[in-house]
Amino acid sequence: MKLQKHWFIAVLSVLALVASACATDEGGEATTTTEGTTATTADAGTDTTEGSTDTTVDEMDLTGTEVTVFGSESSDEEAGAMQDALNVFAEANGMTITFTGARDFSDQINAQAAGGNPPDIAIIPQPGKVADFAREGFILPLPDDVIAVLEENWDPAFTVFGNVDGVQYGVNNKADIKSLVWYSPTAFADGGYALPESWDELKTLTNTMIADGNIPWCVGIESGGATGWPFTDWVEDLLLRYEGVDVYAQWWQHEIPFNDDRVKTVWNEVLGVWDTPGAVFASEGSIAATPFGANGEPLANGDCFMHRQASFFSAFLPEGTVTGPDGISVFYFPPGPTGARPVLGGGTLPVAFRDAPEVWAVMKYYASSEYANNRQIAQQARKGGELSGFLSAAKNQDMNNYLPLEQVMIGFMLEAETLSFDGSDLMPAAVGAGTFWTEGTSAVNGDSTVDDATQAIEDSWP
Amino acid sequence: MDRVIAVVIGVVLALGLSAIVFIGINKLFDLSEKRFAIFNAVIGGVSGFVVFALLWGNQMIVSPEIVTLMATLIGAATGFALGLVKTRSGRLAVGVAGGLTLGLVAGSATRSIAWPSIDPVAVVVGVALGAGFGALHWVITRRRHSARVLILAWLSVGWLFGAWLAADLDGSKAEVVFVAAVLGLLVGAWIGSVPYPDRLTRASIATGSRKYIFLAPAMFFIAATLLVPLGRTIWLGFLTGTPTKLEFSGLENYVSIFTDSGIIDVSDWTSIFTGRLFWSAVLLVVVGVGLGRWLGRSGGTGLGTGFSLSAGTGMLIGVGVILGGFAFFTVIRGTIPNNLWWIFSVTVFSVGLGLAIAVLADRSKGENAAKSLIFLPLAISFVGASIIWRGPMYTARPPSQDQTGVFNAIWVQVGEWSTSDTSSLVISLGLLVIVAFAGYIGLRGWQSGNNAILAGSVAINLALVWLVYRFLGPGIGGVIPDPITGEPIPDPVIFLTSNPWNNFWMMLVFIWIQTGFAMVIFSAAIKAVPDDLLEAARIDGATESQTFWKVTVPQIFPTIGVVATTLIVTVLKVFDIPKVMTNGNFDTQVLANEMWQRAFTELNFGLGSALAVVIFLGVLPIMYLNIRRMQRERLG
Repeated sequence: MKLQKHWFIAVLSVLALVASACATDEGGEATTTTEGTTATTADAGTDTTEGSTDTTVDEMDLTGTEVTVFGSESSDEEAGAMQDALNVFAEANGMTITFTGARDFSDQINAQAAGGNPPDIAIIPQPGKVADFAREGFILPLPDDVIAVLEENWDPAFTVFGNVDGVQYGVNNKADIKSLVWYSPTAFADGGYALPESWDELKTLTNTMIADGNIPWCVGIESGGATGWPFTDWVEDLLLRYEGVDVYAQWWQHEIPFNDDRVKTVWNEVLGVWDTPGAVFASEGSIAATPFGANGEPLANGDCFMHRQASFFSAFLPEGTVTGPDGISVFYFPPGPTGARPVLGGGTLPVAFRDAPEVWAVMKYYASSEYANNRQIAQQARKGGELSGFLSAAKNQDMNNYLPLEQVMIGFMLEAETLSFDGSDLMPAAVGAGTFWTEGTSAVNGDSTVDDATQAIEDSWP
Repeated sequence: MDRVIAVVIGVVLALGLSAIVFIGINKLFDLSEKRFAIFNAVIGGVSGFVVFALLWGNQMIVSPEIVTLMATLIGAATGFALGLVKTRSGRLAVGVAGGLTLGLVAGSATRSIAWPSIDPVAVVVGVALGAGFGALHWVITRRRHSARVLILAWLSVGWLFGAWLAADLDGSKAEVVFVAAVLGLLVGAWIGSVPYPDRLTRASIATGSRKYIFLAPAMFFIAATLLVPLGRTIWLGFLTGTPTKLEFSGLENYVSIFTDSGIIDVSDWTSIFTGRLFWSAVLLVVVGVGLGRWLGRSGGTGLGTGFSLSAGTGMLIGVGVILGGFAFFTVIRGTIPNNLWWIFSVTVFSVGLGLAIAVLADRSKGENAAKSLIFLPLAISFVGASIIWRGPMYTARPPSQDQTGVFNAIWVQVGEWSTSDTSSLVISLGLLVIVAFAGYIGLRGWQSGNNAILAGSVAINLALVWLVYRFLGPGIGGVIPDPITGEPIPDPVIFLTSNPWNNFWMMLVFIWIQTGFAMVIFSAAIKAVPDDLLEAARIDGATESQTFWKVTVPQIFPTIGVVATTLIVTVLKVFDIPKVMTNGNFDTQVLANEMWQRAFTELNFGLGSALAVVIFLGVLPIMYLNIRRMQRERLG
C-alpha cells in the first residue's frame, strides 16, 4: 500500500508540472490575443494581412463559410435590397450571408452583445453606440486591409464616424442627408411661394401659408421605441445653423451643458414653429402621436406643403408618387443667422464581432463602391424605379444608378461646407436614445416646459 | 421533410442519451458499496470536468480542451486514490496533492481577464468569515461532523471570495497562480480529511442517493432557469456601471429608484383636493352610506347593523371608491404610482364587471352566446390587442379629415349632432322617452317595495337628463369652435398622448381581455353554489338581492380572492400594452417597461435588475397569500 501511494504522488507531481508548463504557454498566447482584440490593431492586422496579401477577394477561399448580419433596416425594400446586394457577393464567393433586420434592433443588439451571442456583423446607426461597444470590448478593430479599402472609397469626413479614440471600428456603407425639406414645386408655384433662403424666410413663409389658409408643415415624431427622434433632428439642424459646428461638437460631447441657453433657444425656435396654430398637419391628431412615416401621403396629397426629413424619407412616399420638378422634390434646409451652410447627416456603420477571414471579406465589401452600386440597383428595382431611399457617398460608385433628385442630394453632401453626424446618435445611449427622445417628446406634447425637459436631460447624462 | 427527419433523429438521440446517462448514474451509485475506488474515480473525474467546463463556457481559461481534459484526469486519479488509501495522513496527502495540482492547472490556465489583485483586507475578512462559518456550522449541527472537515470546507469558500471574487480583476499571473493553488490546497485538504467510509456508510451512499438522482433533472432545470437567474438579478441590482465594468455599489440603484421624480412624483398632491373627481367620490360614498343606513332602518332587512348593502348602495359606494382612486392616481404620478393605478383599475373593473356579467347572465336566455363573446378577447394576445386598440379604436385624425378611429368617429359625430339644432332636438326627445319609461319602471319597483329598482332608475334618469341638458344647452362631444371663424370644427380626443387619462385608455385594453377570464371563473363558482342554500334563503323571505349579497357572495368569496390575486400579479408585470401603444412615453411608464429600457436600451444592467427586484418584491406577498390559501384549501 505504501509503495502504491508514493507511486501515485509521483505521477501526480509529474502531471502537475506538465500541466503548469503547458498552461503557461497557453496563458502567454492568450495575453497577446486579448491585447490584439482590445487595444491595438497591430497583431490581429498582421495576421489577417498575411493570410490575404492579395486584396482581391476571389483569391481567398471562402467557399462554404457563413456570415450573419443584423441591422435595423427591416422594411421589404431596405432589408430585401440589403440581402440582394449581399447575395451578389455571397454567390460570387460560394458563401452564405444572412441579413436579419429588426425594428427594435437597438435593444436587441445590446442584449446580444452583452449576453455573448452577437451576430458576426451588426449594422449600427449610432456612432455613439459603436463607441460604447468598442470601449466595452464587444467589437473588433478593423484590420489594416479593411481600413485600406475603406479609405480608398470613403472621404475622411465620413470614416471618422466609425473611429473611436483613434482606432477604426466601423466601415461606412450608407449615408443619409438630413438637412432636407421635402416639398412640391408645383404646389409652391401655384401658391406663389418662393423657396426660402434663410430660417427667417422659412418662418415668414410658414406664416404666409397659414394666412392663405394652407397648412405649411407635416410633422410627426412617433416611431415606436424611438419616438421623438425627428424632433432631435430639427434641434440639431437648427443648432448647427445658429451656433456652428464647434458649439455643436461641444454640445454632443457634453463640454457645455445640455441645457445651455443657446440650446434652449433652438428648442424654443422649433417648438415656436410647431405650436403656431394651423402650422402643422399631424395625420394622427397630434405631432407626438403621428408616426414619422405617415407624412408621405399628406405631402403627396397636398394636405401640407413642406416636410423636413432625411433622404430615406422617400421610402415613405406612397407608391406611384412622381418625384422631381413635377412631383415631390427637396430643397436644402436654409441657413440660419450665421449664414453658414452646414449639412446634418447620418448613416449606418457595420462593425464586426467575429475575427474570421469571411467576416472581414464582407466588411470590405460593405466599404466598397460595388456594394453601393449593387444595393442601389436592387433597392431601386424593389421600389419600381422610383426614389430608392438609399444613398451612398462612396467615392467610386456609379452615379448613373441614381435618379437626378438623388444625385442632387448626394451633391448636397459632397459639397457641404461642413458635415456633422446626427448629434443624438453620437451622445451616450442613455441620452441620445433615451431622455433626449422622451423629454423632447414630452416638450412637444406640452407635458413639460423647455426648461424642465432640457434640465431633465442634463441630469440624466451618465 | 429533411428538417422533420432531423428533428425526429435529434429527439430520439436526446431521449436515448438522457436514458443512458440516467441509467449510468444509477449503475454508478450501485458501485459505491463494493467498488468504491472506481466510484470515487468517476465522481472525481466528473467533478473536475464540470468545474472546468463551467470555466470554459464562461471563457475564463485558455486552451480549454486540453486543460479540461487534464482536470478530468487529475480529478479521476485523485478520486481513485482516495478510494484506495485509508490512513488519515495518506488521505490528506493524496487530497492535498490532487487539489494543489488542480489549483496550479486552474491558476496558470486562467485568462488575464480574471487575474485577481490580492487585497489583504478582503483575504483576512474572507478567511475569518470562512473559519467562523465553519465553527458555527459545526456547533449548530451538534458536532456530528468532524470540525476539521467543516472548517476546511468553509475556509475554501472564504478564501475563494476574499482572495478572488471580491478582488479587482487586474492582478498579475503570480497572484492568480498563488490564489488558485491555495484554493486547490484547501479544497484538497478538505476532501482528504473526510475519513474513508466504512461498508455501512458506502451502502447508505448507494441507497440514499436514489431520491436525489430522480429529483436531479427537475432540480437542475429549476436551478438553471429560475434560481440562478434570480440570484444573479439580485446580485446585479447592487452593481453599477457598464456591462463589462460593473462595480459593487450597495443600495445606490435602489436609492436612485426611490428618489427619481420620474418614478415617484408626489409634488402635486394638494391638487387631489381641488379636483372635481375627489369631491364627486366623497359625495357618492356619503350618499351611498346614508342611503344604506336609511334603507337598513326603514326596511329592516339589514344585517342587524342598521345598514343595508344592496345593489344600489353598493354601486354608489363602489363608484365612489373608483372615482376616489382615480382622483388619487391622476395626481400622484410616476412609474410606481402608475403601476399601482393599473393594479387598482384592472382588478376593480375586471372583477366587478366579470362578477356582474356572470351573475346577470346566469341561467338567462343566450347565456352561452353572451359569455362566449365576452370570453373571446382572452384569445387575443396583449400585443395583438394593443395594435387593434391603438389603430382602429383610438386613432385620431386632423380636423380636416374624416375620423377613422371608432371612438373618435362616434365622439365627433355626437358633437356635430349637438351643434345642429334639429338633430339635438330629435335626440333629446328620444332620450326623454327613455327617461319616461325608466321612470315608470322605477315607480313600479317602488310600489312593489323594491328599492333597488327605484335606485337604479333614478341613477339612469339622472344621467339621461344630464345628457339632454348638454345636448340642448352647452353641447357635448368632440367639436370646438374654430379659433378664427367660430364655426364648429371637429376636436377629436387624442387618446394615447393626452395624459393622465391615456393611462386609463390603455388599462381598458387589459380590462377588455381579462374581464372574460374573471367572468368564466365566477360563472363556474356561482353555478357551484348549492341550490338548497339559495332555496332556504328564498323560503325565509329573502329578496333576490339579499340572496345574492348574503348567500352567493360569501360562497364565492374565495374565488374572488383567487381571481383578484391572479389579476394583481399579471397586472404588476404588465409590459406588452405600454410597450406597443406608447413605449412609456406621454407619462405612461410602467415598471416592467422601465426595467426593459434601463437594462437593454441603456445597458444599465444594475438599475434594470434593481427594478426587476422591485417588481419581484411586489409580487412576492401576493404569491405568498395565494400559496397559503392553496395549502389551506388542500388541508380543509
